[in-house]
Amino acid sequence: MADPIVELTNITYKNDAGGTVFKNLNLTLPVGRSAIITGSAGSGKTTLADLLVGRRFADSGTVKLFGKEMRKRKKRLIRQVRQKIGGVGGRFDLLPLLTVADNITLPLIITCARSKLRKERLRRALTEFSLLNQAALYPRFLTRVENMMVQLARATVANQPLIIIDEPLAGLDVKTYQRVLDYFIKVALSGRSMILLTAEPPQVTIPETDSFEIANGALL
Amino acid sequence: MTRFIYIIRELLRNLYRNPGTALGSLLSMTLLLLLLDLFWIAAGTSEKFYEGLVADLTMEIYLSESLSDTDLIDLSHEIEQLAIVNTVRYISKEEARRLLASQIGTDLLIGYDSLNPLPQSFLLTFKPGRLSLTELIAVEEQLLTMTGVDETEYSREWLEKVERTKGIILKVGLGLGLIIMLAALISLTNGIRVMTRARAVGFRQMLLQGASRSFVALPFLIEGFLMGGLSATFSWLVILYGSEKITFSRISIVYPTRYDIIDFCIVCAVLGLISGYLGIRKLLKV
Repeated sequence: MADPIVELTNITYKNDAGGTVFKNLNLTLPVGRSAIITGSAGSGKTTLADLLVGRRFADSGTVKLFGKEMRKRKKRLIRQVRQKIGGVGGRFDLLPLLTVADNITLPLIITCARSKLRKERLRRALTEFSLLNQAALYPRFLTRVENMMVQLARATVANQPLIIIDEPLAGLDVKTYQRVLDYFIKVALSGRSMILLTAEPPQVTIPETDSFEIANGALL
Repeated sequence: MTRFIYIIRELLRNLYRNPGTALGSLLSMTLLLLLLDLFWIAAGTSEKFYEGLVADLTMEIYLSESLSDTDLIDLSHEIEQLAIVNTVRYISKEEARRLLASQIGTDLLIGYDSLNPLPQSFLLTFKPGRLSLTELIAVEEQLLTMTGVDETEYSREWLEKVERTKGIILKVGLGLGLIIMLAALISLTNGIRVMTRARAVGFRQMLLQGASRSFVALPFLIEGFLMGGLSATFSWLVILYGSEKITFSRISIVYPTRYDIIDFCIVCAVLGLISGYLGIRKLLKV
Protein backbone atom coordinates (compact mmCIF):
# COMPACT_ATOMS: atom_id res chain seq x y z
CA MET A 1 0.00 0.00 0.00
CA ALA A 2 1.31 3.44 -0.93
CA ASP A 3 2.46 5.83 1.79
CA PRO A 4 -0.08 8.48 2.73
CA ILE A 5 0.59 11.73 0.90
CA VAL A 6 0.39 13.62 4.20
CA GLU A 7 0.89 12.11 7.62
CA LEU A 8 1.01 14.33 10.69
CA THR A 9 1.49 12.47 13.95
CA ASN A 10 1.13 13.98 17.43
CA ILE A 11 2.20 17.43 16.29
CA THR A 12 2.85 19.97 19.00
CA TYR A 13 3.80 23.48 18.02
CA LYS A 14 4.19 26.69 19.96
CA ASN A 15 4.42 30.07 18.30
CA ASP A 16 7.22 32.58 18.89
CA ALA A 17 5.32 34.11 21.81
CA GLY A 18 5.11 30.69 23.48
CA GLY A 19 1.40 30.15 22.87
CA THR A 20 0.33 26.63 21.95
CA VAL A 21 -0.91 26.43 18.38
CA PHE A 22 -1.09 22.65 17.97
CA LYS A 23 -1.30 19.98 20.60
CA ASN A 24 -1.29 16.33 19.52
CA LEU A 25 -2.54 17.20 16.07
CA ASN A 26 -2.96 14.19 13.77
CA LEU A 27 -3.85 14.04 10.09
CA THR A 28 -3.49 11.26 7.55
CA LEU A 29 -4.30 11.91 3.92
CA PRO A 30 -4.08 8.87 1.63
CA VAL A 31 -3.01 9.37 -1.99
CA GLY A 32 -5.87 10.78 -4.02
CA ARG A 33 -7.91 12.00 -1.08
CA SER A 34 -8.38 15.62 -0.13
CA ALA A 35 -9.13 17.48 3.07
CA ILE A 36 -11.05 20.60 3.88
CA ILE A 37 -9.74 22.08 7.10
CA THR A 38 -11.82 24.82 8.59
CA GLY A 39 -10.96 27.04 11.47
CA SER A 40 -11.52 30.53 12.73
CA ALA A 41 -8.97 33.29 12.17
CA GLY A 42 -5.85 32.60 14.24
CA SER A 43 -6.66 28.93 14.68
CA GLY A 44 -3.45 27.88 12.91
CA LYS A 45 -4.46 27.17 9.31
CA THR A 46 -1.53 29.07 7.79
CA THR A 47 0.81 27.61 10.40
CA LEU A 48 -0.35 24.18 9.32
CA ALA A 49 0.45 25.09 5.71
CA ASP A 50 3.88 26.28 6.87
CA LEU A 51 4.51 22.93 8.58
CA LEU A 52 3.54 21.11 5.40
CA VAL A 53 5.94 23.06 3.17
CA GLY A 54 8.82 22.99 5.65
CA ARG A 55 8.66 26.66 6.45
CA ARG A 56 8.20 25.88 10.14
CA PHE A 57 8.98 22.73 12.09
CA ALA A 58 7.01 21.03 14.84
CA ASP A 59 8.30 21.12 18.41
CA SER A 60 7.41 17.44 18.69
CA GLY A 61 5.72 14.83 16.54
CA THR A 62 6.44 13.95 12.93
CA VAL A 63 5.47 15.55 9.66
CA LYS A 64 5.67 13.17 6.72
CA LEU A 65 4.94 14.12 3.14
CA PHE A 66 5.08 11.55 0.36
CA GLY A 67 6.38 9.12 2.96
CA LYS A 68 9.40 11.32 3.83
CA GLU A 69 9.85 12.96 7.19
CA MET A 70 10.36 16.71 7.04
CA ARG A 71 13.22 17.83 9.23
CA LYS A 72 14.91 21.18 9.47
CA ARG A 73 18.31 19.92 8.39
CA LYS A 74 17.05 18.01 5.38
CA LYS A 75 17.20 20.96 2.99
CA ARG A 76 17.39 18.85 -0.13
CA LEU A 77 14.37 16.76 0.89
CA ILE A 78 12.38 19.89 1.72
CA ARG A 79 13.20 21.27 -1.70
CA GLN A 80 12.10 18.07 -3.40
CA VAL A 81 8.86 17.98 -1.40
CA ARG A 82 8.12 21.62 -2.23
CA GLN A 83 8.48 20.84 -5.92
CA LYS A 84 5.60 18.37 -5.54
CA ILE A 85 3.32 20.87 -3.83
CA GLY A 86 1.28 23.49 -5.58
CA GLY A 87 0.41 26.44 -3.40
CA VAL A 88 -2.45 28.93 -3.69
CA GLY A 89 -3.23 31.89 -1.44
CA GLY A 90 -1.66 32.63 1.93
CA ARG A 91 2.10 32.42 1.61
CA PHE A 92 1.99 31.50 -2.05
CA ASP A 93 2.14 34.85 -3.83
CA LEU A 94 3.11 35.42 -7.41
CA LEU A 95 6.56 36.71 -8.27
CA PRO A 96 6.00 40.40 -8.98
CA LEU A 97 8.79 40.72 -11.54
CA LEU A 98 7.72 37.76 -13.67
CA THR A 99 4.91 37.83 -16.20
CA VAL A 100 1.85 35.61 -15.80
CA ALA A 101 3.30 33.12 -18.29
CA ASP A 102 6.65 33.02 -16.47
CA ASN A 103 4.93 32.70 -13.09
CA ILE A 104 2.88 29.76 -14.30
CA THR A 105 5.87 27.92 -15.78
CA LEU A 106 8.14 28.63 -12.80
CA PRO A 107 7.68 25.14 -11.25
CA LEU A 108 8.68 23.65 -14.62
CA ILE A 109 11.73 25.91 -14.90
CA ILE A 110 12.82 24.91 -11.43
CA THR A 111 12.53 21.23 -12.25
CA CYS A 112 14.33 21.73 -15.59
CA ALA A 113 11.40 20.53 -17.71
CA ARG A 114 11.98 20.51 -21.45
CA SER A 115 11.01 23.53 -23.52
CA LYS A 116 8.37 21.65 -25.53
CA LEU A 117 6.68 20.37 -22.39
CA ARG A 118 6.74 23.83 -20.80
CA LYS A 119 5.11 25.44 -23.80
CA GLU A 120 2.46 22.73 -24.03
CA ARG A 121 1.60 22.90 -20.33
CA LEU A 122 1.57 26.68 -20.37
CA ARG A 123 -0.86 26.78 -23.28
CA ARG A 124 -3.10 24.27 -21.56
CA ALA A 125 -3.05 26.16 -18.25
CA LEU A 126 -3.71 29.53 -19.88
CA THR A 127 -6.67 28.06 -21.73
CA GLU A 128 -8.03 26.17 -18.73
CA PHE A 129 -7.96 29.22 -16.49
CA SER A 130 -8.97 31.75 -19.16
CA LEU A 131 -5.72 33.63 -18.90
CA LEU A 132 -4.70 33.80 -22.55
CA ASN A 133 -5.12 37.58 -22.66
CA GLN A 134 -3.16 38.06 -19.44
CA ALA A 135 -0.14 35.90 -20.31
CA ALA A 136 2.22 38.82 -20.89
CA LEU A 137 1.00 40.92 -17.97
CA TYR A 138 2.76 41.41 -14.67
CA PRO A 139 0.88 40.49 -11.47
CA ARG A 140 0.36 44.12 -10.49
CA PHE A 141 -1.98 44.52 -13.46
CA LEU A 142 -4.19 41.55 -12.50
CA THR A 143 -7.44 41.57 -10.57
CA ARG A 144 -7.65 39.55 -7.37
CA VAL A 145 -9.54 36.77 -9.13
CA GLU A 146 -7.08 36.68 -12.02
CA ASN A 147 -4.26 36.56 -9.52
CA MET A 148 -5.84 33.55 -7.87
CA MET A 149 -6.38 31.86 -11.23
CA VAL A 150 -2.69 32.30 -12.04
CA GLN A 151 -1.80 30.75 -8.69
CA LEU A 152 -4.12 27.83 -9.43
CA ALA A 153 -2.55 27.42 -12.86
CA ARG A 154 0.93 27.46 -11.30
CA ALA A 155 -0.16 24.95 -8.66
CA THR A 156 -1.16 22.41 -11.29
CA VAL A 157 1.13 23.08 -14.24
CA ALA A 158 3.73 20.55 -13.13
CA ASN A 159 1.10 17.96 -12.18
CA GLN A 160 1.95 18.51 -8.53
CA PRO A 161 0.36 15.63 -6.60
CA LEU A 162 -0.60 17.86 -3.63
CA ILE A 163 -2.17 21.29 -3.73
CA ILE A 164 -2.40 23.45 -0.62
CA ILE A 165 -4.99 26.18 -0.89
CA ASP A 166 -5.13 28.80 1.84
CA GLU A 167 -8.40 30.77 2.12
CA PRO A 168 -9.50 30.28 -1.49
CA LEU A 169 -13.12 31.31 -1.28
CA ALA A 170 -13.12 34.46 0.81
CA GLY A 171 -14.50 37.50 -0.97
CA LEU A 172 -15.27 35.82 -4.29
CA ASP A 173 -18.32 36.75 -6.32
CA VAL A 174 -20.89 34.03 -6.93
CA LYS A 175 -19.75 33.27 -10.45
CA THR A 176 -16.07 32.97 -9.55
CA TYR A 177 -16.95 31.07 -6.38
CA GLN A 178 -18.77 28.47 -8.48
CA ARG A 179 -15.96 28.34 -10.99
CA VAL A 180 -13.36 27.77 -8.28
CA LEU A 181 -15.48 25.09 -6.66
CA ASP A 182 -15.88 23.36 -10.02
CA TYR A 183 -12.16 23.41 -10.35
CA PHE A 184 -11.71 21.88 -6.88
CA ILE A 185 -14.11 19.08 -7.77
CA LYS A 186 -12.17 18.49 -10.97
CA VAL A 187 -8.88 18.28 -9.06
CA ALA A 188 -10.41 15.95 -6.47
CA LEU A 189 -11.65 13.64 -9.20
CA SER A 190 -8.32 13.73 -11.03
CA GLY A 191 -6.66 11.67 -8.32
CA ARG A 192 -4.58 14.50 -6.92
CA SER A 193 -4.80 15.52 -3.28
CA MET A 194 -5.86 18.88 -2.03
CA ILE A 195 -5.78 20.55 1.35
CA LEU A 196 -8.22 23.42 1.56
CA LEU A 197 -7.61 25.70 4.52
CA THR A 198 -10.58 27.95 4.96
CA ALA A 199 -12.62 29.84 7.51
CA GLU A 200 -15.88 28.97 5.77
CA PRO A 201 -16.47 25.47 4.40
CA PRO A 202 -17.60 25.27 0.75
CA GLN A 203 -21.34 25.07 0.21
CA VAL A 204 -21.14 21.98 -1.99
CA THR A 205 -19.71 18.55 -1.38
CA ILE A 206 -16.35 17.89 -2.97
CA PRO A 207 -15.84 14.20 -3.80
CA GLU A 208 -13.02 12.15 -2.24
CA THR A 209 -12.70 14.78 0.45
CA ASP A 210 -12.76 14.61 4.26
CA SER A 211 -13.66 17.57 6.41
CA PHE A 212 -11.85 18.61 9.58
CA GLU A 213 -11.98 21.49 11.95
CA ILE A 214 -9.08 22.96 13.86
CA ALA A 215 -10.13 23.53 17.45
CA ASN A 216 -7.97 23.84 20.54
CA GLY A 217 -4.88 22.94 18.57
CA ALA A 218 -6.19 19.62 17.28
CA LEU A 219 -8.12 18.40 14.26
CA LEU A 220 -11.64 17.24 14.94
CA MET B 1 12.34 30.16 -20.59
CA THR B 2 15.14 27.83 -19.58
CA ARG B 3 16.98 27.98 -16.29
CA PHE B 4 19.93 29.60 -18.04
CA ILE B 5 17.78 32.29 -19.65
CA TYR B 6 16.00 32.82 -16.36
CA ILE B 7 19.33 33.43 -14.60
CA ILE B 8 20.57 35.84 -17.28
CA ARG B 9 17.26 37.70 -17.26
CA GLU B 10 17.36 38.01 -13.48
CA LEU B 11 20.89 39.37 -13.72
CA LEU B 12 19.98 41.93 -16.36
CA ARG B 13 16.73 42.80 -14.60
CA ASN B 14 18.64 43.63 -11.47
CA LEU B 15 21.03 45.94 -13.34
CA TYR B 16 18.22 47.45 -15.40
CA ARG B 17 16.06 48.20 -12.37
CA ASN B 18 18.90 49.59 -10.27
CA PRO B 19 21.34 51.27 -12.67
CA GLY B 20 22.30 53.97 -10.17
CA THR B 21 23.13 51.54 -7.40
CA ALA B 22 24.98 49.24 -9.79
CA LEU B 23 27.01 52.10 -11.23
CA GLY B 24 27.69 53.48 -7.75
CA SER B 25 28.99 50.12 -6.58
CA LEU B 26 31.12 49.74 -9.68
CA LEU B 27 32.65 53.21 -9.33
CA SER B 28 33.35 52.93 -5.61
CA MET B 29 34.93 49.50 -6.14
CA THR B 30 37.02 50.88 -9.00
CA LEU B 31 38.26 53.79 -6.90
CA LEU B 32 39.13 51.55 -3.95
CA LEU B 33 40.96 49.11 -6.18
CA LEU B 34 42.73 51.98 -7.92
CA LEU B 35 44.10 52.98 -4.53
CA LEU B 36 45.20 49.40 -3.94
CA ASP B 37 46.88 49.28 -7.37
CA LEU B 38 48.83 52.44 -6.51
CA PHE B 39 50.06 50.90 -3.25
CA TRP B 40 51.04 47.80 -5.14
CA ILE B 41 53.05 49.90 -7.62
CA ALA B 42 54.61 51.91 -4.77
CA ALA B 43 55.67 48.71 -2.99
CA GLY B 44 57.16 47.23 -6.18
CA THR B 45 58.95 50.47 -7.01
CA SER B 46 60.39 50.85 -3.52
CA GLU B 47 61.58 47.25 -3.63
CA LYS B 48 63.33 47.90 -6.95
CA PHE B 49 64.79 51.12 -5.59
CA TYR B 50 66.15 49.23 -2.59
CA GLU B 51 67.67 46.57 -4.83
CA GLY B 52 69.35 49.30 -6.87
CA LEU B 53 70.78 50.86 -3.73
CA VAL B 54 72.23 47.68 -2.31
CA ALA B 55 73.52 46.49 -5.69
CA ASP B 56 76.44 48.94 -5.35
CA LEU B 57 77.19 47.96 -1.78
CA THR B 58 80.75 46.83 -1.04
CA MET B 59 82.46 45.46 2.06
CA GLU B 60 86.04 46.16 3.00
CA ILE B 61 88.00 43.51 4.88
CA TYR B 62 91.11 44.78 6.64
CA LEU B 63 93.86 42.22 6.88
CA SER B 64 96.68 41.73 9.37
CA GLU B 65 100.19 42.77 8.37
CA SER B 66 101.66 39.34 9.02
CA LEU B 67 99.89 37.51 6.17
CA SER B 68 102.19 36.01 3.55
CA ASP B 69 101.36 35.98 -0.18
CA THR B 70 100.27 32.34 0.08
CA ASP B 71 98.02 33.15 3.04
CA LEU B 72 96.48 35.99 1.04
CA ILE B 73 95.73 33.72 -1.90
CA ASP B 74 94.22 31.03 0.38
CA LEU B 75 92.11 33.59 2.22
CA SER B 76 90.92 35.09 -1.06
CA HIS B 77 89.78 31.66 -2.26
CA GLU B 78 88.06 30.99 1.05
CA ILE B 79 86.12 34.26 0.82
CA GLU B 80 85.12 33.59 -2.79
CA GLN B 81 83.42 30.40 -1.62
CA LEU B 82 80.87 32.37 0.42
CA ALA B 83 77.44 32.17 -1.18
CA ILE B 84 76.60 35.83 -1.72
CA VAL B 85 80.10 37.05 -2.60
CA ASN B 86 80.49 38.06 -6.21
CA THR B 87 84.08 39.38 -6.53
CA VAL B 88 87.08 39.71 -4.23
CA ARG B 89 89.68 42.35 -5.06
CA TYR B 90 92.97 42.69 -3.20
CA ILE B 91 94.08 46.21 -2.27
CA SER B 92 97.66 46.51 -1.11
CA LYS B 93 98.87 49.13 1.37
CA GLU B 94 100.33 51.14 -1.54
CA GLU B 95 97.14 51.04 -3.53
CA ALA B 96 95.21 52.03 -0.44
CA ARG B 97 97.44 55.05 -0.11
CA ARG B 98 96.94 55.95 -3.77
CA LEU B 99 93.18 55.63 -3.37
CA LEU B 100 93.25 57.82 -0.30
CA ALA B 101 95.33 60.40 -2.10
CA SER B 102 92.87 60.40 -4.99
CA GLN B 103 90.06 61.04 -2.54
CA ILE B 104 91.55 63.67 -0.23
CA GLY B 105 94.40 65.05 -2.40
CA THR B 106 98.16 64.82 -1.92
CA ASP B 107 98.55 68.04 0.10
CA LEU B 108 97.34 66.47 3.31
CA LEU B 109 99.77 63.57 2.89
CA ILE B 110 102.92 65.72 2.69
CA GLY B 111 105.36 64.54 5.38
CA TYR B 112 103.92 61.03 5.39
CA ASP B 113 105.97 59.71 2.46
CA SER B 114 107.76 57.10 4.52
CA LEU B 115 104.80 56.30 6.77
CA ASN B 116 101.76 54.28 5.59
CA PRO B 117 99.42 53.19 8.41
CA LEU B 118 96.76 51.97 5.98
CA PRO B 119 96.23 48.18 6.11
CA GLN B 120 96.07 45.83 3.16
CA SER B 121 92.50 44.77 2.43
CA PHE B 122 90.03 42.88 0.28
CA LEU B 123 87.15 44.70 -1.38
CA LEU B 124 84.07 42.49 -1.78
CA THR B 125 81.14 42.97 -4.11
CA PHE B 126 77.95 40.89 -3.81
CA LYS B 127 75.75 38.98 -6.16
CA PRO B 128 72.85 41.13 -7.39
CA GLY B 129 69.37 40.40 -6.04
CA ARG B 130 70.56 38.25 -3.17
CA LEU B 131 71.52 40.84 -0.66
CA SER B 132 69.91 41.49 2.67
CA LEU B 133 71.11 42.83 5.97
CA THR B 134 70.71 39.43 7.65
CA GLU B 135 72.89 37.77 5.03
CA LEU B 136 75.50 40.50 5.29
CA ILE B 137 75.69 40.11 9.06
CA ALA B 138 76.08 36.34 8.66
CA VAL B 139 78.89 36.84 6.13
CA GLU B 140 80.56 39.37 8.38
CA GLU B 141 80.50 36.91 11.29
CA GLN B 142 82.03 34.21 9.11
CA LEU B 143 84.74 36.55 7.86
CA LEU B 144 85.75 37.59 11.36
CA THR B 145 86.42 33.95 12.27
CA MET B 146 88.91 33.59 9.41
CA THR B 147 92.62 33.82 10.21
CA GLY B 148 94.14 37.09 9.07
CA VAL B 149 90.90 39.12 9.04
CA ASP B 150 91.21 42.01 11.50
CA GLU B 151 88.12 44.05 10.78
CA THR B 152 85.29 44.52 8.31
CA GLU B 153 83.52 47.66 7.25
CA TYR B 154 80.37 48.36 5.27
CA SER B 155 77.37 50.69 5.43
CA ARG B 156 75.54 48.66 8.05
CA GLU B 157 73.67 51.51 9.72
CA TRP B 158 72.54 52.92 6.40
CA LEU B 159 71.38 49.50 5.29
CA GLU B 160 69.50 49.02 8.56
CA LYS B 161 67.65 52.29 7.99
CA VAL B 162 66.79 51.41 4.42
CA GLU B 163 65.53 47.96 5.44
CA ARG B 164 63.47 49.42 8.26
CA THR B 165 61.89 51.93 5.89
CA LYS B 166 61.17 49.20 3.36
CA GLY B 167 59.57 47.08 6.11
CA ILE B 168 57.36 49.98 7.19
CA ILE B 169 56.24 50.60 3.60
CA LEU B 170 55.45 46.91 3.20
CA LYS B 171 53.50 46.69 6.49
CA VAL B 172 51.55 49.87 5.84
CA GLY B 173 50.87 48.71 2.28
CA LEU B 174 49.63 45.33 3.49
CA GLY B 175 47.48 46.87 6.22
CA LEU B 176 45.97 49.43 3.87
CA GLY B 177 45.54 46.76 1.21
CA LEU B 178 43.52 44.62 3.61
CA ILE B 179 41.42 47.60 4.68
CA ILE B 180 40.79 48.54 1.06
CA MET B 181 39.82 44.99 0.12
CA LEU B 182 37.47 44.86 3.11
CA ALA B 183 35.96 48.22 2.17
CA ALA B 184 35.47 46.99 -1.41
CA LEU B 185 33.81 43.82 -0.13
CA ILE B 186 31.46 45.77 2.14
CA SER B 187 30.69 48.33 -0.54
CA LEU B 188 29.69 45.72 -3.10
CA THR B 189 27.83 43.64 -0.52
CA ASN B 190 25.77 46.66 0.44
CA GLY B 191 25.14 47.52 -3.19
CA ILE B 192 23.79 44.05 -3.91
CA ARG B 193 21.82 44.06 -0.65
CA VAL B 194 20.14 47.32 -1.63
CA MET B 195 19.40 46.03 -5.12
CA THR B 196 17.84 42.80 -3.86
CA ARG B 197 16.01 44.10 -0.78
CA ALA B 198 12.83 44.87 -2.72
CA ARG B 199 12.79 41.40 -4.17
CA ALA B 200 12.59 39.42 -0.95
CA VAL B 201 9.00 38.36 -1.72
CA GLY B 202 10.08 36.92 -5.04
CA PHE B 203 12.95 34.99 -3.48
CA ARG B 204 10.65 33.54 -0.80
CA GLN B 205 8.25 32.38 -3.48
CA MET B 206 11.02 30.80 -5.51
CA LEU B 207 12.14 28.83 -2.46
CA LEU B 208 8.55 27.82 -1.65
CA GLN B 209 8.22 26.48 -5.19
CA GLY B 210 11.18 24.22 -4.50
CA ALA B 211 13.97 26.26 -6.07
CA SER B 212 17.39 25.67 -4.58
CA ARG B 213 19.23 28.47 -2.82
CA SER B 214 21.93 28.35 -5.46
CA PHE B 215 19.35 28.75 -8.24
CA VAL B 216 17.94 31.86 -6.58
CA ALA B 217 21.35 33.25 -5.68
CA LEU B 218 23.21 32.49 -8.91
CA PRO B 219 22.27 35.69 -10.81
CA PHE B 220 23.53 37.78 -7.92
CA LEU B 221 26.69 35.75 -7.51
CA ILE B 222 27.40 36.25 -11.21
CA GLU B 223 26.64 39.94 -10.81
CA GLY B 224 29.09 40.23 -7.90
CA PHE B 225 31.69 38.29 -9.88
CA LEU B 226 31.33 40.59 -12.88
CA MET B 227 31.34 43.75 -10.78
CA GLY B 228 34.50 42.68 -8.93
CA GLY B 229 36.29 41.65 -12.12
CA LEU B 230 35.21 44.74 -14.05
CA SER B 231 36.17 47.12 -11.23
CA ALA B 232 39.66 45.60 -11.05
CA THR B 233 40.00 45.75 -14.84
CA PHE B 234 38.86 49.39 -14.98
CA SER B 235 41.23 50.37 -12.19
CA TRP B 236 44.19 48.90 -14.09
CA LEU B 237 43.06 50.50 -17.34
CA VAL B 238 43.13 53.88 -15.59
CA ILE B 239 46.63 53.16 -14.23
CA LEU B 240 47.94 51.97 -17.58
CA TYR B 241 46.45 54.98 -19.34
CA GLY B 242 48.04 57.25 -16.73
CA SER B 243 51.41 55.53 -17.11
CA GLU B 244 51.43 56.39 -20.80
CA LYS B 245 50.59 60.02 -20.15
CA ILE B 246 52.82 60.70 -17.14
CA THR B 247 56.52 59.83 -17.12
CA PHE B 248 58.98 60.02 -14.25
CA SER B 249 62.58 60.85 -15.15
CA ARG B 250 64.23 60.31 -11.75
CA ILE B 251 62.49 57.12 -10.73
CA SER B 252 61.76 54.04 -12.71
CA ILE B 253 58.21 52.92 -11.84
CA VAL B 254 57.76 49.19 -11.50
CA TYR B 255 54.40 47.84 -12.69
CA PRO B 256 53.18 44.33 -11.93
CA THR B 257 53.40 41.87 -14.79
CA ARG B 258 50.43 41.22 -17.05
CA TYR B 259 49.90 37.85 -15.40
CA ASP B 260 49.92 39.43 -11.93
CA ILE B 261 47.26 41.90 -13.09
CA ILE B 262 45.12 39.09 -14.53
CA ASP B 263 45.48 37.17 -11.25
CA PHE B 264 44.50 40.30 -9.35
CA CYS B 265 41.39 40.77 -11.50
CA ILE B 266 40.40 37.14 -10.90
CA VAL B 267 40.89 37.55 -7.14
CA CYS B 268 38.71 40.68 -7.24
CA ALA B 269 36.06 38.81 -9.22
CA VAL B 270 36.04 36.07 -6.57
CA LEU B 271 35.81 38.79 -3.94
CA GLY B 272 32.79 40.13 -5.83
CA LEU B 273 31.25 36.67 -5.87
CA ILE B 274 31.64 36.48 -2.08
CA SER B 275 30.05 39.95 -1.86
CA GLY B 276 27.15 38.70 -3.96
CA TYR B 277 26.61 35.81 -1.58
CA LEU B 278 26.87 38.04 1.50
CA GLY B 279 24.46 40.52 -0.08
CA ILE B 280 21.73 37.97 -0.69
CA ARG B 281 22.42 35.49 2.12
CA LYS B 282 19.78 36.76 4.50
CA LEU B 283 17.08 36.66 1.85
CA LEU B 284 17.54 32.97 1.25
CA LYS B 285 15.93 31.76 4.44
CA VAL B 286 12.42 30.39 4.16
